[in-house]
Amino acid sequence: MMPTRASRIQVVLVLFLMLVLQFYVRPRLWGPRVSPDFLFLGLMLVALRSSPGIAALAGFLVGLAGDALTPARFGAGMLANTVVGYFASWGRAVFFADNILVNAAFVGVGLWVRDLLTLLLSGAGDRPLLAELTVYSPLEALATAAFALLVLLASRQWFSVRLEA
Amino acid sequence: MASASDRSYTRRDTVLFFVCVGLSVVALVTPTRIGLALADALRETALAPLVWLQARAEEGRTSRVRFREVTAQRDSSAYLAQGLPSLLAENERLRQLLSLRRRLSSSYVAAEVLHQSTATDGRTLLLSAGSSQGVSPFDPVVSPEGLIGVVLSTAERTSIAMTWAHPEFRVSAFTVTGNAAGVVAPSLSAVSGEGALEFRGVPYRDSVPPGSLVLSSGLGGVYPKGIPVGTVTGLVREQAGWERVYRLLPAANPGSVGHVLVLIAPPSSDLAAAFPSDSLLKAQRLDSLLRARLADSLAQAARDAAAARRDSLARVRRRAAPADSAAASATPAAPAPPPPAPVRGDSAR
Repeated sequence: MMPTRASRIQVVLVLFLMLVLQFYVRPRLWGPRVSPDFLFLGLMLVALRSSPGIAALAGFLVGLAGDALTPARFGAGMLANTVVGYFASWGRAVFFADNILVNAAFVGVGLWVRDLLTLLLSGAGDRPLLAELTVYSPLEALATAAFALLVLLASRQWFSVRLEA
Repeated sequence: MASASDRSYTRRDTVLFFVCVGLSVVALVTPTRIGLALADALRETALAPLVWLQARAEEGRTSRVRFREVTAQRDSSAYLAQGLPSLLAENERLRQLLSLRRRLSSSYVAAEVLHQSTATDGRTLLLSAGSSQGVSPFDPVVSPEGLIGVVLSTAERTSIAMTWAHPEFRVSAFTVTGNAAGVVAPSLSAVSGEGALEFRGVPYRDSVPPGSLVLSSGLGGVYPKGIPVGTVTGLVREQAGWERVYRLLPAANPGSVGHVLVLIAPPSSDLAAAFPSDSLLKAQRLDSLLRARLADSLAQAARDAAAARRDSLARVRRRAAPADSAAASATPAAPAPPPPAPVRGDSAR
C-alpha cells in the first residue's frame, strides 16, 4: 500500500518532533548517556515505513549529523547508522510482524547494534567497549525502546502497527 | 514471481545502500584534518539551527541546576575576597623578595558542553564557543574539578574538544609534592566505563603513594602548570626495572560535565616571560657571575683593608716601642704615652 500524502505529512511531523526532542528536550533530561536517542528513534520510524534504500539514506544522514557533532572517528557513525537503517527496514519486511511491542524491542536492539558498530569502527579499547555495551548502551536502548512504545501508541495508525500481541 | 517494478525498486535500494556505505567508508579513511574541517562546515551550516537549539537547552538546564551552587559559591567568594587585597600585597612583596616574576594570568571563555547520543561522546565534546569568542585549536579545556582536555578544532560558534578519554590524549604532569614527573595518558584497559588515566614514565627510583594529587607540569606549552589531572590510586605495572606506571582517578569526568572553561591566550601574550629562553638563562647566569665577582672584590677589599690596618698598627707599635724603652731608662716615673689613635681601614688604604 502506497502511503498517502496526508500520512506522509504526519510522519514528517513526527520526525520533526524527534529532532526537537533530541536537541531541546534531551539535554534537560537525566544523564546524557542513558537518555533516549530520539534521532535514532526517528531513523527507526523511517525504517518502519520506508524501503531499505530510503532507510539506508536516512541512516547515512543521521550518522553524518552525529559524526559532525562528535567527530571522535569521522565516518563511523555514518556507516553504523546506514547498515542498521538498511537492515532494520529489510528485516522488518521479512521477519517482523506489525506488533507494537516487537517494534519497540526492535528499536532497542537496533540501538545496541548501532553502538556496537560505532565503537568497533572508532577503535575503542576492549574493556571500555565491554562496559559501554553491557551498561550504558542497554540502558539507553531500554529508554529509547520505552519512548518508542509511547510514540507508536500515539501514532500507530500513521505507522501501520497493531496493538494486539 | 517479482514484477519488473518490484525488481527496479530492490535494485534502487541496493544501489542506495552501497552508495551510502561507500561514502561512509571514504569518510572513515579520510585524513582526520579533512574530516574535522567537514564536521566544522556542517556544524556551521546545515546543523547550525540544531546546535543553537541544543545550546539554549543546555544553558537553561545548567542555569537551573547551578543557580543554588553559584549563589553559595558567590557568598563564599565574597567573604574570601575581603582579605584578598592584603594577600595580594603580601604575595607581591614576597615575590619581589624572592625575585620571582609575576604569575601568568590567562583569559578564559565559558562554554556549555553539548552532549550527543553517540557512544563515542566523552572522547570528543562539542562546545558552544568557537573562534568568534577567541577559542583556537590547542586551547586547554578545564572544569572546576580539573583538566578536561584540549580544543581540537574550531568553527565560528562551536568547537570540538578532545578529552582525556581520547586515545591520543597526553599531558606532561608531576605530583603535587614534586617528587615524581611523567606523562599522563588514557588507560585503554580501564575496568570501569568511565575510563581511567595512567601516569607513565615515572622513574623507577621514584615511588608515588596512593592518594597523591597529580598536576599538569606546564611543559610542552599547551597546558598551564598546576591544573589537577587526577589522583593516584595504585600501581599498574613496572617496566623492566626502569619505569613505573600508576593508575589515576581522573579529577574531572567529561561524560557528565555540563559547563567548562576554555583557557585562551591573548594574541599579544608573551610566554617567554614565564618560560625563560636559553638567552635569558644565559643573561641570568652572567648576572649571577657579575654579582659573585663583585662580592669577591668587596671581600678582597675588606681583607686588604684589615691587613693594612694590622700593618699600620704594627708600625705604630714598632715606632713607639724604642721611645718607650728609652724613656723608661731615663725617667722611670714618667707617665705612659697616650694610646695611638684608631686607624680606619679605608683610610689606611
